Amino acid sequence: MIETVIRKRIEILADQPLVGRVTNAIDEVGISGWTILPVTSGSGREGRWREERITGADKVLVLTIASAEKASSLAGRLAPILTSHGFLLTMWDVEVIRGERF
Amino acid sequence: MDSAVITSTFTSPVILFFVLGFAAALARSELSIPEAIAKGLSLYLMAAIGLKGGVAVAESGIGPDVAAAMGAGFMLSLLIPVGAYAALRAFGRLDRTNAGAVAAHYGSVSVVTFVTAAEILEGVGLAPAGYMVAVLAIMETPAILTGLLLARGALGSSEGRRGEMLHEVFLNASVVLLLGSFAIGAIAGPAGFEDVRPLFDTGFKGVLCLFLLDMGLIAARRLMTSRALNWRLIVLAIVFPLVNGTIGTLVGFAIGLDPGSTAALGVLCASASYIAVPAAMRLSLPEADPGVYLTMSLSVTFPFNILIGIGLFAALARALAGG
Repeated sequence: MIETVIRKRIEILADQPLVGRVTNAIDEVGISGWTILPVTSGSGREGRWREERITGADKVLVLTIASAEKASSLAGRLAPILTSHGFLLTMWDVEVIRGERF
Repeated sequence: MDSAVITSTFTSPVILFFVLGFAAALARSELSIPEAIAKGLSLYLMAAIGLKGGVAVAESGIGPDVAAAMGAGFMLSLLIPVGAYAALRAFGRLDRTNAGAVAAHYGSVSVVTFVTAAEILEGVGLAPAGYMVAVLAIMETPAILTGLLLARGALGSSEGRRGEMLHEVFLNASVVLLLGSFAIGAIAGPAGFEDVRPLFDTGFKGVLCLFLLDMGLIAARRLMTSRALNWRLIVLAIVFPLVNGTIGTLVGFAIGLDPGSTAALGVLCASASYIAVPAAMRLSLPEADPGVYLTMSLSVTFPFNILIGIGLFAALARALAGG
């Protein structure tokens, strides 16, 4: 039986030009890795959006996995700018193998 | 004014492809240009327009009109947002942040509008001078600084944020590629350009057609899903290019530019950015609503300039020149 441990998986939906703010915050709370995933279209409080490629309004998903403590630090750091920057942050428990890496 | 110049835009394949894209999106067609191809088309167009401008400057040399055009472009980009900001606050009823962000877009320029105008103007015997590409690059940036000052009285909230914004402003992809390929064209000259002409000249109009097809799709789809636009902002998005373009054309005439470059300066002043400035505003004014500034510049002003503005300023420049 493979041993797994519980960690937090955090996803942040952000506009492409603002991704640096998110990844900087991830680095600053000591989370060692993150991945950026492309997204193509969606709908939210501000209406529908879709990938336009040229306008700087495209969105991406920043994905990271961390301990509950670091995840909480990250959420605390991003919470004050979630509304002003139009970020969407979600987190939930996941099982990971090699828990010491997160 | 010469109405033939105005109507000639409506028979250009370049414009008709834009209309096709716009109409297809309005009809909810699934037509789309794949992402990698659209990015490639955009890189190609910027490299080609930069190269051609550089080669033209290598041929013609640099005269006093070049410095005058660059100085005028810089000042117009710096000052146009001030008037736009006042109108957006008073008539558009926007708050300070959104008014500053929108004003920055209208002081800056649209590369695609310029490229399209250069093609249309050449077709009616009003080819702008090669150095207008450098004027285009110069006009991208000053408006961003004015817009930020108007929005919050400073360029950035902290040293790091200011550096991030200035990096985006001066080293964004379009400025680097435009100025870089302009320099390559100026160094290589007409003889050097001959080697790459089959790629950058022969296929240029066809690529521009495909790119404008994509722009038509994007502009119409954004318009259809917009919630932020109201009639006041739509009126301003049409009045701004008319007023700014007329000012630009008159300034071009006053400083003694040739009719083609005069019309091009008018088009530059009439155009609004939707590539470089949105990214800079997202970084510097994240509270500003992209649904307002992008929809105004991309979905109203851009189509207006492509369909009407270019022909209008070409006719005005020709009338001023007495042609």
